[in-house]
Amino acid sequence: MSRRLGIIGAIIRKDLVAFTRDRFYVFITVFGLIIYIAMYWFLPNSVDETIEAGIYWQGGSPQVLSSGDGLEFITFDTPEALEAAVDGSGDESVPIGLDFPNGFVESVRSGRPTTVRVLLTTDVPDEYRGAMTSFVRELAFLVAGTELPVTQLDTTEVILGEDRAGDQVSLREKMGPMFVFFVLLIETFALATLVATEIQARTVTAVLATPTRLSDFLAAKAIIGTVLAFGEALLLVTLIGVLGTSPLVLIITLLLGALLVTGFGLIAGSTGKDFIGIVFWSMVFMIPLAIPSFAVLFPGSAADWVRVLPSYGLIDSIVRATAYGDGLVELSGPLLLLSGWCVIAFTGGLFALRRKVASL
Amino acid sequence: MTNIGRVLRKDLRLGPRSPFILWAFVLPVVMTLLIRGVFGGLFDANPRLAIVDPGGSRVTADALALDGIDVSVLSDADELRSRVEAHDYDAGLVLPAGFDEAVRSGARPEMALYISGESLASDRVVLAVTTLDLVRGVSGEPPPVQVEVVSFGEESLELSLRLLPLIMIYAVALAGAMVPALSLVEEKEENTIDALLVSPASIQEVMAAKVLLGVILAFSTGIMTLAINNAFSGEYTAIMATLLVAAVMMAEVGVILGAWAKDTNTMFAAFKAGGILLFYPVVFFIWPDLPSWIARIGPTYYFLQPIFDLSVGGAGFSDVAVEIAIGAAICLALLPAVLFMGRWLERSRGGGAGATPERDLEPAL
Repeated sequence: MSRRLGIIGAIIRKDLVAFTRDRFYVFITVFGLIIYIAMYWFLPNSVDETIEAGIYWQGGSPQVLSSGDGLEFITFDTPEALEAAVDGSGDESVPIGLDFPNGFVESVRSGRPTTVRVLLTTDVPDEYRGAMTSFVRELAFLVAGTELPVTQLDTTEVILGEDRAGDQVSLREKMGPMFVFFVLLIETFALATLVATEIQARTVTAVLATPTRLSDFLAAKAIIGTVLAFGEALLLVTLIGVLGTSPLVLIITLLLGALLVTGFGLIAGSTGKDFIGIVFWSMVFMIPLAIPSFAVLFPGSAADWVRVLPSYGLIDSIVRATAYGDGLVELSGPLLLLSGWCVIAFTGGLFALRRKVASL
Repeated sequence: MTNIGRVLRKDLRLGPRSPFILWAFVLPVVMTLLIRGVFGGLFDANPRLAIVDPGGSRVTADALALDGIDVSVLSDADELRSRVEAHDYDAGLVLPAGFDEAVRSGARPEMALYISGESLASDRVVLAVTTLDLVRGVSGEPPPVQVEVVSFGEESLELSLRLLPLIMIYAVALAGAMVPALSLVEEKEENTIDALLVSPASIQEVMAAKVLLGVILAFSTGIMTLAINNAFSGEYTAIMATLLVAAVMMAEVGVILGAWAKDTNTMFAAFKAGGILLFYPVVFFIWPDLPSWIARIGPTYYFLQPIFDLSVGGAGFSDVAVEIAIGAAICLALLPAVLFMGRWLERSRGGGAGATPERDLEPAL
């Protein structure tokens, strides 16, 4: 047993030396880590969910208007100052301005025609344009004392799910899992190259002429791939400061993720004939595997076909553990799915490599 | 000239066997789909409203016509609630049958507006006031105020259009620079370059053929990219001239890189490291408020800016002539470097006078 372990260890050491000698992979590994860490800290850590609007209302702040969730009003002393703030020529700048005419309340209550100007920069999204017009009209109805033509449910009862207003998942939190996943994917390329080089140069046949068995060779490749991928992913989550949120869940998830990409790396390495072939086959796996990491950037649940992709459980578990604080119990579903894909990818990888080596 | 044609024909004949050429053509399509379908929606996301309306209310018809709000009609209130809770929608509106008649008769029917806990506060405001306004519209009561909308400033371009230079640079750099570079490196790795050098073709002719290969491919992927992005304006001549500058510049960079790199891995590593100099000007199209003088330092700016202005900015040839001329001048300035690297490659392979092994020759690039 110890002899087998010694042989596997020797192959792993040889592969580590080969990996560190490959300028390309050493470069993209280090460069990738630095870039991902820098990008992570550069991304915004909060979500701006407030509509900021300037307002001119005779006599200062109106009683019927107050800043609240989603709306923030900045009062201006004159319509000219408000207009200057919107068109960018003033000291202050606001994207939206509501210019209420003098005597607005009296006009509305007495039924005299009156006009409110909604000032907008062209960058303001379409939905804000319509909403500001609706807002002014609704305000006028309120001032006029016209009640709603419907009865509504109590607003506190109509929030479905955990209310995250003011506590949204930031772009940084959403992008973190994507970076972790891409670090894992880089190792798919690296492992595939290590395997393909052995096959291309036929050193594998030389290795197998020694007391090394095919199972030792396969075990060594699986271990080196998993260790490299897991080590880098763990380093990344440590350096971006998310490991502390749910260490056990993250370690288990990353280990499964490393096994998954190692399986695909073994398949790509056994299939690709040269560097370009490896890039090609790795990309064939990479594109569908990357889809779930993009899907989590969007609000809402992922489509069913995205949920069955091998990497979905990995990405979902990282997002839910780091952004929502879910534990092993809550994540048992995605982790089980990921484990199932690990078994399939790993078995497929070992089968492909075994078949390739046997054909030499 | 005949020798250039022969080498070029060989590369074009063998080229399609390389998966990399496939990638050069596939990547712009994939990027276009991603940017238009994924990132366009990500950064310009609209509030999403779902409506259950068994009675066919006017509210639903008016909501579907709104700009900037994505409206979906569902058939089941339970499904609406579960999907709002999952944040598939920011809000869900359930209207009872006979809603419009009840509103008009003053019966004040019940209207349920469900809000997703994960929706942005700003989206909640937008959807709530818009819904109330639509309901007021059904009641037929005229609003007690007129609203005049005044817009300031020039309309900014959509993000998906501002990302066009990103797709363009990938399209021309992969096909124009990477393919000839890879072709040269593979010739060296497989030693077929030695056979070429002892053939009647001179090194200048070999380099010219590789440049032409890059030009043809980059020009093709450039046209394809503009076409699939619907970015062809009426300025065909100016766009073609700019694409030609782009293709030549990238092809020259590619053969310089290919002549220098000793193997594929080195070439890819060098392209990854040096590629930032080619790619960084695209940042200034995505965020146009950044100081543009920084972008002007990058050589690729002198084809990206004209293509952008011509394709989506409504510019004419005269508006971009200076940039195109500077781009053409950069192409001319790269020619001596291409010839120098050709001679260096020839010497390093043992051809030409004073041949020196490649390992002893490391030109400072």
